[in-house]
Amino acid sequence: MYIQETAAGNQFDAIVIGSGISGGWAAKELTKHGLKTLVLERGRDVKHVTDYPTGVMNPWEFEHRNQLPLDVKQANPVVSKCYAFYEGTTHFFVKDAEHPYVQEKPFDWIRGYQVGGKSLLWARQTQRWSDLDFEGPARDGFAVDWPIRYADLAPWYSYVEKFAGISGNKDGLAQLPDGEFQKPHEMNCAETHFQKAIASKYKDRQVIQGRCAHLTEPKDIHFQQGRAQCQHRTICERGCPFGGYFSSNASTIPWAMKTGKMTLRPDSVVHSIIYDEKKGKATGVRVVDANTKKMTEYYARIIFVNAAAMNTNLILLNSTSSRFPNGLGNDSGVLGKYVAFHNYRATISAQYDGDLDSTTAGRRPNSPYIPRFRNLHKQETNFLRGYAAGFNAGRSTYTNNEGIGADLKKNLINPSWGGWHVGSHMMGETIPKENSTVSLDGTLKDPFGIPQLKINMFYDDNDEKMIKDFYEQFTEMYEAAGFKNIKTRDSKQAPGLDIHEMGGARMGKDAKTSMLNKWNQLHACKNVFVTDGAAMTSTSTQNPSLTYMALTARAVDYAVQEMKKKNL
Amino acid sequence: MAVAFGGLLSLPSWAQNWTTESVAPTTTSRFLSVADDALLAEIAETIIPETDIPGAKSLGVHTYIQKIVKDCMDTQAQEALENGLYTVGDISKKSKGKDFVAMNPTERTAFLNELLTQGADEETKTFYNLVKNLTIRGFTTSEYYLTNIAHYQLVPGFYHGCVPISTSK
Repeated sequence: MYIQETAAGNQFDAIVIGSGISGGWAAKELTKHGLKTLVLERGRDVKHVTDYPTGVMNPWEFEHRNQLPLDVKQANPVVSKCYAFYEGTTHFFVKDAEHPYVQEKPFDWIRGYQVGGKSLLWARQTQRWSDLDFEGPARDGFAVDWPIRYADLAPWYSYVEKFAGISGNKDGLAQLPDGEFQKPHEMNCAETHFQKAIASKYKDRQVIQGRCAHLTEPKDIHFQQGRAQCQHRTICERGCPFGGYFSSNASTIPWAMKTGKMTLRPDSVVHSIIYDEKKGKATGVRVVDANTKKMTEYYARIIFVNAAAMNTNLILLNSTSSRFPNGLGNDSGVLGKYVAFHNYRATISAQYDGDLDSTTAGRRPNSPYIPRFRNLHKQETNFLRGYAAGFNAGRSTYTNNEGIGADLKKNLINPSWGGWHVGSHMMGETIPKENSTVSLDGTLKDPFGIPQLKINMFYDDNDEKMIKDFYEQFTEMYEAAGFKNIKTRDSKQAPGLDIHEMGGARMGKDAKTSMLNKWNQLHACKNVFVTDGAAMTSTSTQNPSLTYMALTARAVDYAVQEMKKKNL
Repeated sequence: MAVAFGGLLSLPSWAQNWTTESVAPTTTSRFLSVADDALLAEIAETIIPETDIPGAKSLGVHTYIQKIVKDCMDTQAQEALENGLYTVGDISKKSKGKDFVAMNPTERTAFLNELLTQGADEETKTFYNLVKNLTIRGFTTSEYYLTNIAHYQLVPGFYHGCVPISTSK
């Protein structure tokens, strides 16, 4: 659908800023209720299947067999650190020079500016939060109390899980509630061995299969989306022509488009939200066309801000008026503060010498998961909160590369079996702090005339203690499983590379100490909703996207009811 | 269901036009002379020769090496490759009285083995290791190797956690 540049053409019922994992959900839910919805995406359009240029390429078909050319690495020191950035995916990532920002402290900001955003690139892990997470800040005395509990979100988790398609086991764990699962992926011999070893030694620790957004038993609702069963290609980040994993592109955006109610406008960089002092509410947004740099205003009754955590902060901070001189809805002064992330620095690897008569076949877009076991029900350690961990085992092979000629060649085509290689990575909760911030630079602007974002996030003593504990506990757990040659590693990576930045416009009960109420509605500007990572009061340990989806669907449902009651 | 869908999936037109030629080197990826490229091809072929299955030369491994060194590595690596090829030409003429490319396969193997064992300098070792490692990588990432040896499948459609090793290949 094309925008008609007239006043009437610029008027909508709802505007959604961003088309990533949460913006896609906002678009789907708003259009379902018949609202004429404008979806603004700062990047280019990416259509499902046809805009996945590397989606069906074999490894040998890449000019450099998927190695990054040196000039690309040198021009992009930040994004080149991301594990998913390689020759086959560069077109889905923001290049360093295109969108500058200020690192007050080192922060590797990984971004995907296109329709679908990072939902094309995510690691697809979808673990629910529990009350042990929502009650964390209140119990342990940091941040502010979440204004919601698990019971508020549980039906919405179910709602989004059924549509997105989540695979996993019902494990019956208090800290990781079960969901609407399709059949789980298999564990391999080494993983099952570890699972049993941990179960026999610890009552409070479990090794489970990860829950992930892959269709293992697609239902009618998925076929209606044009999606099919996951084919285990494990090249998800290039875009999946099968729609085997959930992305906005494969799922929510085309679904919203089918209603005829959505207008999708790519190349639309939101400058700010317009606040009408007389009406006491937001009336629309100012958009810079990414190609022409021309500014246009669009109007709507409600606005959903889903620009991804950092850019949502930027837009709110840049939306100033005499009523809100410090950013839209920022009466409390907390906007841009208490930002946090996940600590992914620590890994631990080892060898397993059992089950040598077995190996794996095929590929798996998922891996086992060890839910948080530290400080679950009460404070037990010298650090706050805890960590979850991924776990992954694979059979290694090796070749004798000595010499040259026919013997070398024979060795290369007959690799020998090695033992099992096992590894875990820590996913640590970090504590949101007042001095952990994002703010607007006073002078530097981006290519669209918008102030650059200054990012000031850092590890603290709690994070260092948690890393130490992870090494100690996992060394003990690995030893209990008989693993050998245990090695710990601290990548020392800067915050950001976890791609789980959160907060800055946190939810809370009190307008004096938070930005959003329990419906993700700005306390001070009720027709603006924030349902992406910016809304997060605390971070817990789970991969956050599923929670953003559930918060979004719930907030839209509330917004629509309020509109019907003429409250919005 | 899964397999059937794979067959029904209509791929966009750009996906049907790939051939070996379409991903062959562009002129910008070349920096070696025609003679040096031919010499590199014979060195790679000596490291991984044609047997009952294709060797480095027929799999275009030398083209891969030149491309990777030019596009993915720094100028030091490019100089090491160029200088090393010159050295091979120089030594072969001085000590053997003929060009490397004029030798028979046995002479070539002996020559490359001697290159390392007879008190080779650091530059020669760097060159040798660079070419050998990239020859191995070029061979094991080639379409032939991945398809026929590693049995790579773009669309496996399954994952089995525990299969006996004897039947897993």
